[in-house]
Amino acid sequence: MTMPATSDAEAQAANEVSRTQEAILAAYAELIEELGTDDVSFRLIARRAGVGERTVFRNYATRVDLLLATAAWIEDRIFPRQDSASVFDMPLAIRAAMESYDQRPELAHVVAETTMRGISGAAPSPGRARLEQMVDAEIPSLEDAERIAIVAALAHLDSAATWVTFRREFGMSRRDIADAAAWAAEAVLDPVRSRVG
Amino acid sequence: MAEGVDTPTAILAHAAAALREHPFDDISYRTLGDAVGVSERTVYRHFPTRSHLLEGVAGWIESTEFPLPPFVTIPQFRDASRARFHAFDASPAFAFVCARAATISPTGEAEPTFLTRALVAMLATNHPSLNERDLHRVAAALRYFASPPFWARMRTGFDMSASQISDVFDRTLVEILGDLVILRETEMGASRRDGG
Repeated sequence: MTMPATSDAEAQAANEVSRTQEAILAAYAELIEELGTDDVSFRLIARRAGVGERTVFRNYATRVDLLLATAAWIEDRIFPRQDSASVFDMPLAIRAAMESYDQRPELAHVVAETTMRGISGAAPSPGRARLEQMVDAEIPSLEDAERIAIVAALAHLDSAATWVTFRREFGMSRRDIADAAAWAAEAVLDPVRSRVG
Repeated sequence: MAEGVDTPTAILAHAAAALREHPFDDISYRTLGDAVGVSERTVYRHFPTRSHLLEGVAGWIESTEFPLPPFVTIPQFRDASRARFHAFDASPAFAFVCARAATISPTGEAEPTFLTRALVAMLATNHPSLNERDLHRVAAALRYFASPPFWARMRTGFDMSASQISDVFDRTLVEILGDLVILRETEMGASRRDGG
């Protein structure tokens, strides 16, 4: 079942990038994978994107602006989510997300870190509205505190920071990360499994 | 330079102090050098990239501002985590730096932190019959929900206070522990009554 694109502002912004911006963001993402985030100059990005350096500045005035736009673009284009029809599909979706983060580790780190900057950073829970919709439609009997705890926990698990933490702190392989994240999501859903409708 | 403190530590202490006024990205190596009384080059020698600096500052903050109370039981772990969420709320600029440092591409060999090792030890000791895979799944999930990134996401993405964050943490903790918590229910109840 296909769902309309998320209403999240960031995802929309990522969808609405111009062809020039797309070239710049793709070039920066490529360079991050080759060189990391620290050593990439605007000049290098411009050359890789095939545009003038001034064009890069005109679109992204600062390095932080460029990084945040690139992080949003990466989530949208490199790590897209298949929309889940049911909240009980979330463990599967999370498993797939972990596998895709593991294939592009540098980009996963960028996505994870930019969401940890507070209100001046990237939106940390782009899937929140969709999760709320699904929970409300499928398990309307939940109390407020229970509802928000499930949505918040699933939003936290469905993120690049999960992959980073499991990899860094536990040295888990791709398979083990995907398994552990999906397992945790199942555990979060366990108490409401029989309360659908 | 502060007395009796080595240069890298002095740099980190100044960087942490500067966080009270400026976001991390606005703190320049030159300013840090001036504050400590060394050249900008010396700062670069100790922290070759901003990622190194971020990791260093976060480490300094975690040990001085957010020391984790020791824990050997699940209720102690729960209380320690809740106390830290409140400490994060009291110093958000510090906590966001810790959350960022926990998610950047590591500058060196990534090593498990004290919290990770303490959690694995706690589960292995209290639940010796737990198989390896379940032990690591439980530990990883608990670790992730006790971390600065969890606090950061709840605060920014859900507008939650430390108390609300602690509530989500508590509920998730119970679900993650599942059957294991039954073994500890009495203890947990006692801890709740004691004013958790």
